[in-house]
Amino acid sequence: MKNRIRELRATQGWSQADLAERLDVSRQSVNAIETGRYDPSLPLAFAISRLFGLPVEAIFTPDQETA
Amino acid sequence: MAASKHEKRVHTAYLREMAGAFLVYAVLLMASIRFGRPMDESLLRILVLLSPMIGFCLALWAIARHLGRVDEYLRRFLLESFALAAGLTAGLTFSYGFLETAGYPRLSMFSVWMVLCGATMLVCLVRSVHEKLQTR
Repeated sequence: MKNRIRELRATQGWSQADLAERLDVSRQSVNAIETGRYDPSLPLAFAISRLFGLPVEAIFTPDQETA
Repeated sequence: MAASKHEKRVHTAYLREMAGAFLVYAVLLMASIRFGRPMDESLLRILVLLSPMIGFCLALWAIARHLGRVDEYLRRFLLESFALAAGLTAGLTFSYGFLETAGYPRLSMFSVWMVLCGATMLVCLVRSVHEKLQTR
């Protein structure tokens, strides 16, 4: 799954630690999600979506669209 | 890199609970050596010699609570690491069983626990370094 979290975080001027703070997760989690090594659960994806004020599908896109 | 409040809270709670478990273990271990070893063979002696396991169980409980507190990514990372370490330990101890048949010295069952601890630390270290290299 691809995501725009790094780009959205940069526009807010937040570090990975700042974003981790706001999501109440570890900095390693933010790093793993940003680099595509970990796909967040739905509750965390929705928390990210609420934080940036964007729908989930505007932040996360599947690698390949499935039918 | 600065740790988030989440990491600090989780880490502090884990250290506090693990320190308590180790304290209980250490006290019971000293008591079992001091009082259990000289006792005559009996069920009571077995229970006294086994008593440090109360501290060990508290340590397991602390680890279980830690897994419940960490975020979902770290939980997955730790559980995968434990699984890999358990597999590595099984492979090493099973191999040594064959080596004992070949004449290697018989080892205490305590060594399995030490191998498991070492394997867990090794797996966590290797995976952490691997992840850091991947994100560069």
